[in-house]
Amino acid sequence: MKNSYRMAIVTTAAALSAVLLMAAVPALGQAPAPAKAGDTADDKAKAAAKAKRIAEQFEANARVLTVFDREGKTVAEVGERAIYNQPVFSPDRTRVAVIKTDLEAETADLWVIDVGTGKSTRITSSKSREPAQAPVWSPDGKQIAYVALRDSYLTAFRRFSNGEGAEELLYKHPGGNFLLTDWSADGRYLIYSSTDLGGGALYALPLEEKKPMELFRSKFQVLGARISPDNRFIAYRSNETGKNEIFVRSFDPAGAASPAASAGQWQVSNNEGGLGLIFWRADGTELYYMGADRGIKSVSVSTAPAFEFGTPRTLFKLPDAIPVTGTPGGLGNIARDGQRVVFVVPPAPRLQQITVVDRQGKTVRTVGEPGLYGQPALSPDGTRLAVVRNDRDRGNTDIWVFDMATGKGTPVTNDMPPDFGPMWSPDGSQVFYTSLRGNYQGIYRKAWNGTGSEELLFQYTPGAGINLTDVSPDGKFVTFSSGGVVNVVALTGTDPLTRKAIEFSREEFDTLQGRFSPDGRFLAYGSNEGDPEKVQVYVRPFDASTGAAAATGKWQVSKDGANGMLYWRADGKEMFWLHLDMESGDALVMAADISTAPAFQPGTPRLLFRLTNARQTMNGPGSISRDGQRFVFTMMNVPAGTPAK
Amino acid sequence: MRHRFSACVALTVMLLVAGSAWAHHNMSALFDFNQRFTRTGTLTKFDWRNPHIGLSVDAKSDQGQVETWWFEGPAPGFFRTRDTTKSDFENATGKTVTVEASRARDGSLSGLIRIITLPGGKVVSLCPQNC
Repeated sequence: MKNSYRMAIVTTAAALSAVLLMAAVPALGQAPAPAKAGDTADDKAKAAAKAKRIAEQFEANARVLTVFDREGKTVAEVGERAIYNQPVFSPDRTRVAVIKTDLEAETADLWVIDVGTGKSTRITSSKSREPAQAPVWSPDGKQIAYVALRDSYLTAFRRFSNGEGAEELLYKHPGGNFLLTDWSADGRYLIYSSTDLGGGALYALPLEEKKPMELFRSKFQVLGARISPDNRFIAYRSNETGKNEIFVRSFDPAGAASPAASAGQWQVSNNEGGLGLIFWRADGTELYYMGADRGIKSVSVSTAPAFEFGTPRTLFKLPDAIPVTGTPGGLGNIARDGQRVVFVVPPAPRLQQITVVDRQGKTVRTVGEPGLYGQPALSPDGTRLAVVRNDRDRGNTDIWVFDMATGKGTPVTNDMPPDFGPMWSPDGSQVFYTSLRGNYQGIYRKAWNGTGSEELLFQYTPGAGINLTDVSPDGKFVTFSSGGVVNVVALTGTDPLTRKAIEFSREEFDTLQGRFSPDGRFLAYGSNEGDPEKVQVYVRPFDASTGAAAATGKWQVSKDGANGMLYWRADGKEMFWLHLDMESGDALVMAADISTAPAFQPGTPRLLFRLTNARQTMNGPGSISRDGQRFVFTMMNVPAGTPAK
Repeated sequence: MRHRFSACVALTVMLLVAGSAWAHHNMSALFDFNQRFTRTGTLTKFDWRNPHIGLSVDAKSDQGQVETWWFEGPAPGFFRTRDTTKSDFENATGKTVTVEASRARDGSLSGLIRIITLPGGKVVSLCPQNC
């Protein structure tokens, strides 16, 4: 099932990245807007801060348009670094159509870049938030079709690939999820897919009639479809077997509505997963796709008289820097002669080192080997650390527990669905976590050493995300954030599907990251109620009889902002949080004394220590030991990039 | 607009790996994006809370009967990025609004807002999120 969860991984990775990536120095292609006459000092400061963040974001996300040969050797880097997506070779592979994002203008436009010279030609000039996407070339390379959001409609256009002439409106899609995936070799059809939680459908849009024809519909995803050069078959990605694989079926627009249209379907990938990036060689003898092992696969095929195919073989494995995405073809493309592969290659990821610091911010020790870690959570006795660990070779995102003394790691989960948000049971015997299964995200728990079966505790509404943030001291409640609402779930009864989320705080403003006080009488959480731009730590009484907030009582604890890592000291007399200073980029670990008797009373916040340049060095907030003496972070300091292999 | 990035960073940092948007739900599960319709009527009340705002609009059906429609939109924070606030809807209450929406899959009188036109003529597009 792993591959069907790639998007979630990517989403999570993106969120993790965004934590630290939005930020640094004006960079190529992203000059900040100049200050205007009449701007106040405050305006200028804010503009400068925004420019800095955009520049940092650019630096972290800019990609190099890179051309590989069939063996994975880099043969060319094309044009300047930019935030590129969806590169597509022209039929003769002398040019690449690519979507380029402008962070300052908040636009995404289609460009054509000459592979030999790097010269670029702008094809679209979209408005902010009306991105262009999904380019496909006409068979003769003279035109490009693409989708752009215009006046709330996802609309297909085509335009000459040299940028001349006006764009021609081809089709105004009434719904969402409209992705062009191919232009048939006979030039007659555009192929597009539309996939959501309800499943997917594949369509052909005849360029003469311009009236879409549904080729087939499935309760599973249908993505990345491409037509064979003889226009008789169509290859696509589907998760109908439980994981993403590559399939081929007959392409017959004339008989699309007939039962014959669904007759004949072959799974080309060999049960090891196919992520997409599906392309036919122009002579129809090979079909390519990207495997779950990051390999570019080649399958010998023939389409006459019938479809036949061989065993997939790996041409080469992609560099580690290229993330495994859920959108087929989102980052790469294979030329029609099968001799070149183009990818937009992002900066190499950096591994993280689990690092323990004291109350002064001094490094005490490191734990385990460098890896891709996130969301550390110390066990109640501080001897173990649960983290999210990503295995880039297999693509799995699992929960691991590391022994703090020996660094020995033990997988808690070892499965294809990505698992997040580890939290410890009060007695330290179990780890709670979230996982996406099908369309549902749920909260699970399992023994910390990975033995035994996992137990589903709660399942949320379809498609909605869960950010598990704490388990109550008595183990009777969990709390999670979703959509700016702090929720509590009482772990009562035996049927997890009957448990309901109780809204602890559902407001106009955003509330998140609930944390139970050690005595279970209060819940701390973050909220931007005072200033939409700034989250602060608040505390409200928790009513265990209802799972909701008590009718009265609310206290603000932080003053200058909080960006996570809310913790209570075990005796309930101190609270901690992390504040990311937007100007300096430093993370400030803050604390405040707390008294709860006779009434809740927060003390004045104070700085414990500062972690400089946090966006570049920290992979998100850390964890704090219950005695408040040790702070654990996943520090990014180890380059992980590797060449193609 | 100019505050969006810092707000985004602040919330993202805090959310860390959070999920997103009500009981909280996925919009495509409840609304059919292929079924667009438009209603013009009186905004009678609204719910301005996370994870999705809601508007109650009394509008005449094609047969001339007044129907009460419930329209959902994204979180209040989304509107902030469109320079639209709660006060815009407070001022619009009791006045005529036009809503272009995607129809609920269950056939109820509800929809997911794509574009709303406020009484003063201000047009707020909820795309690309709801499109």
